[in-house]
Amino acid sequence: MTATEVLDPVIEALHGVLRPDQVLTGRTDRYNRARVPAPFPVHRWAERLPDLAVLPETTEEVAAVVKVANRFRIPVVPRDGGTGLTDGAVPLRGGIVVDVKRMNAVHEIDLENRTCTVGVGINMLKLNEQLAQYGLIYPDDPASYPCSLVGGRIGTSGWSLIGARYGHTRDLVLSFDHVLPTGEVMHVGDGAGGKLTKSSSGYQLKHLFMGHQGTLGIATRATLKLYPKPEAEFSPFFAFADYDSAYACVGALARAGVATFSGAVLFDEWKVAYLRRDDEAYIPQPADVRALACTVLYGYDDEVRAGGRRLLRIAREHGARYLGDEISAGDWAARHDRYATPLHGRTRSGQVVPMSWHCEDAAVNYTDLPAVAREWHAIIGELRAKTDVFDDWGMFCYTSGSTGADYLTEIDVGIWEQQLGDRAWAMWVEAKRAIAAAALRHGGSISACHGSCREGEVDLVPEELGRGFDLMLDLKRTLDPNNIMNPGKYLLDRAYPDPGATAGTGDGGTP
Amino acid sequence: MSAEPESGGAPRAARPYRYAEQHTPPPPQRASEVAITRFEHVFEVDPRLMDVWVAQQAFPNWDTLRIMHARADHLEWMHRHFAATVVPASELIAEIEAPTAD
Ligand SMILES: Cc1cc2nc3c(=O)[nH]c(=O)nc-3n(C[C@H](O)[C@H](O)[C@H](O)COP(=O)(O)OP(=O)(O)OC[C@H]3O[C@@H](n4cnc5c(N)ncnc54)[C@H](O)[C@@H]3O)c2cc1C
Repeated sequence: MTATEVLDPVIEALHGVLRPDQVLTGRTDRYNRARVPAPFPVHRWAERLPDLAVLPETTEEVAAVVKVANRFRIPVVPRDGGTGLTDGAVPLRGGIVVDVKRMNAVHEIDLENRTCTVGVGINMLKLNEQLAQYGLIYPDDPASYPCSLVGGRIGTSGWSLIGARYGHTRDLVLSFDHVLPTGEVMHVGDGAGGKLTKSSSGYQLKHLFMGHQGTLGIATRATLKLYPKPEAEFSPFFAFADYDSAYACVGALARAGVATFSGAVLFDEWKVAYLRRDDEAYIPQPADVRALACTVLYGYDDEVRAGGRRLLRIAREHGARYLGDEISAGDWAARHDRYATPLHGRTRSGQVVPMSWHCEDAAVNYTDLPAVAREWHAIIGELRAKTDVFDDWGMFCYTSGSTGADYLTEIDVGIWEQQLGDRAWAMWVEAKRAIAAAALRHGGSISACHGSCREGEVDLVPEELGRGFDLMLDLKRTLDPNNIMNPGKYLLDRAYPDPGATAGTGDGGTP
Repeated sequence: MSAEPESGGAPRAARPYRYAEQHTPPPPQRASEVAITRFEHVFEVDPRLMDVWVAQQAFPNWDTLRIMHARADHLEWMHRHFAATVVPASELIAEIEAPTAD
């Protein structure tokens, strides 16, 4: 059958459940929903095209679309902000992109129970503008805070910069309505869900339906946990003459057990060297600044001051040099953009080139951070020795929890996308595999934050999860009998005996 | 910002816009091996590093300053968005370093 013969009846059926302006088939509509910010070989853009996109506005409309897709065995790819860094929202088999951005209403703010219920197309920044009038905040604060949306946070089970104090997306989302791959609607949460924060009734299904990268269905409406908007913020930045001292200091800050502690961050020598090229705070720093640390507290003024004094004493004992109020305030406020998006790097001869940012992340225990950092830099160093397409932008390690056990460990790599041909891409995929393998060798996880379904890293997911990966296959087959939900991700095609029989309209949609 | 008087002269907004003046940036000072500065707190990549792969764009002075001020406004906004006040560490450092009464 031709693509038109496959698609025409699908489009007709979609017109039966949506208004015409909710069904998009134009080239720009599809190209704009074919990629995410993670660099990729742009000459292969057409391979990632959906056949069409839909813009549902209610749970019922999402369910109706999924039922149509299931009937015609057409792939469905949920997409929210499109900022995910593991290609989760990128269609690999064409099909229908379900763009949930129009579902962005605030349905309820419950001041007594301290919750709100929202459509998953809402952005945290916009939500917090509304909550501020009640003195409340929804503290899910990824570096993509201004542009990622609640549904994508659920789909990735995201990581928050201030998660050590407030928890991460999985802690902050209490429950949600969810459309299963068959089109049935389910409410997911602890026990009965709703506004409950803890239940021991039945299996704990909430975690299963978060972080699945759209392979188990589509969340549509979520109930979120709210906190008082903090009175005070405290974010001192410290300089060190060497990595080891900064590393020791960050560990001590994180282990101190201060109640308002919201996070600590370690910047390694490579990151400082990178910032020294382009960042107004670090260009003027003396040459003996080689590593940095910062810590952040949020809460009432009196508790932040008490905790702050304790942490400053710890920093002083570790030889930290305070970088000053201006840099400290400015750098923390710049956490959502400064390091990710300078959008240029250097060739080996020092010339500036336009580059996109890529961040490889892992979850690593404190004691393994130095070894992982050494191995990762060696991997990127090898790449860079071969080509100017890659530039090492250094590493950050951020506390994930309040006790300092493990860190979101990231290496930022500048990638010259315009020069990213098939050969360089193959080298990159190999490097990603090596990066993931290093994290696993040190007892870590391939990803603390973004997920692990991109080429390279995904090959190691069965090794990381062991028997758990087989269980993933069993669950996928049970919940999505026709493999329509984001097919091609997480090696889940292995759940189906005959991959040829599962959903897809070819290698990418019709150009 | 544009209405502030500058060293006793007419307010900036009231002064005529002079193309040549706006397109003549102050002379560069070297800030590091790879960066220069022309306006206080505004750093630029050394233009010698941008003559092969990156096309240079002429910027009037006011636009450079507008972008920098917008950045400062954004950072200020972000603080207020997350908390009512910022506690400066310098204050707490002074407290912990002050000699105790006894
Ligand atoms: C500059 C920058 C900084 C970043 N910093 C962080 C960070 O600090 N922490 C962090 O966790 N991530 C970070 N990310 C990655 C990204 O922002 C997160 O993964 C985010 O959760 C994705 O949200 P989104 O709305 O853009 O989702 P999308 O990219 O649209 O989707 C992400 C995944 O979720 C699925 N999905 C989308 N909507 C739904 C839904 N309604 N139901 C079920 N599945 C769905 C998609 O299919 C896809 O697999 C960063 C990204 C950028 C570009």
